Amino acid sequence: MSWKKICTAADIPENTLGQFEVDGIDIVVANFGEGFRAFPPRCPHMEEPLCESAMLFDGMLTCTKHLWQWNLSSGEKLGAAEKELLLYDVKQEGDDIYVLVEEELIYEDDDEEEDVDDDDFFNAD
Amino acid sequence: MGSTAKIQVNARNRAYQFEGDCGEKILNLGLSNAIGLPYECGSGTCGTCKARLVSGDIADRWPEAPGRKYLKLKKGEFLMCQCTAESDIEIEVESFVHTMEAGACVPSALKGRIASAKLLVHDVMLLRVELERGVDFDAGQFMLIQFPEVVGFRGWSMVNYQRHAESLDFVVKKQPGGKLTEWMFSHECEGLDVELFGPLGDATFYSRLGKNILCIAGGSGIAGIMSILSRAQQDGYFSQYNGYVFFGVRTMKDAFFLDELSDFSDSGGDKLEVTIALSEEEAPSSAMADYPHLNFDKGFVHEVAGRRMADRYKDIRAYLAGPPPLVNGAIGMLLQARVTTDNIRYDKFS
Repeated sequence: MSWKKICTAADIPENTLGQFEVDGIDIVVANFGEGFRAFPPRCPHMEEPLCESAMLFDGMLTCTKHLWQWNLSSGEKLGAAEKELLLYDVKQEGDDIYVLVEEELIYEDDDEEEDVDDDDFFNAD
Repeated sequence: MGSTAKIQVNARNRAYQFEGDCGEKILNLGLSNAIGLPYECGSGTCGTCKARLVSGDIADRWPEAPGRKYLKLKKGEFLMCQCTAESDIEIEVESFVHTMEAGACVPSALKGRIASAKLLVHDVMLLRVELERGVDFDAGQFMLIQFPEVVGFRGWSMVNYQRHAESLDFVVKKQPGGKLTEWMFSHECEGLDVELFGPLGDATFYSRLGKNILCIAGGSGIAGIMSILSRAQQDGYFSQYNGYVFFGVRTMKDAFFLDELSDFSDSGGDKLEVTIALSEEEAPSSAMADYPHLNFDKGFVHEVAGRRMADRYKDIRAYLAGPPPLVNGAIGMLLQARVTTDNIRYDKFS
């Protein structure tokens, strides 16, 4: 378990997000003005890629697919969101942003998808 | 295999049980039993209606549905809007599911006939479908429609609004490479029989809303907005509340419903503003002379809306309709203007 440098503060202007890889794990870093947050790259609702579909301002992260929102300052879910946003610990030293990565954060019910023959589940019409 | 199946849906809050024909989509069976199963497009693209098969057999009626990219196949997930029950089944959905309110417009299957298909501009037609029976719907809702000639249901918003409507009007835009619309624009559609299911959708307007309304639409997305404006006009809504309507097209050649929008603006008085946003040209002075009750502006419709609305977002409910880049752009603009997510309504379907 260790702190890994993920990016620099200059890489993520205020109210933007960036996706990076640390030890093979994709992590999104968001600059919400007061600081930085790091979380898995996909929305816990329907796995929409947050770097493509999320907006960030006033300390709120909004996934524009179904308008799930989280307050990045307090961590609480807002409005329509039904699940918490999983967060990696983040710290800033000088211009460098570090995340604490023990293992990849995965939302419950997320599994690695395997190639499966559809006939296992569907009767062919 | 019998012709009917018992279906049990385990939702996060409770289980539901109902029965239906094996040939009907599972989503449609649940909705027509007034169970608010999750969905958005109803036509296999958005993935919102995904459920997990716990037991029994189902058939996938569209194995190439784009919404299948949202499925975890290993867990037995499937799209309720594209699958039918082949036996008694038990399924699970992740969300909270509630029964529809008393007085809600419960969807059902019905038949209709194309009464007219009128070209509005070069790539947009107005379709009138006469129904086998009257139907109630909320302003802003849509129907799924299938033509026998081209398999697959598409979602189209109703343009008209009336109680117990015996005919429904739809805007159909020709999609390049779209099988159905290419067929419709090259064949005689009048007299054809169609199947419908609905009404569907939550991006609805009702006169007890009690808020100002902002409508941002592009191309055929104006259809549902017309229904909202019809309802609002019928109830004299703009004698009390403000309405701001922005309709985006590329050029004047692509603009339609200008007479109707002009009539809405006129009857809505000072409290209703309607702006036509042209993304590729300045409006000719003749347009402004011909339509003194309409504003014209240049730019992408959500940018024009952002500019013209300035800070007039107090007590507002926004309705968005159009291609995904428009809806996403408008959502961003509205969130930055501090409009809360519960006041941003849209149906995303292609």
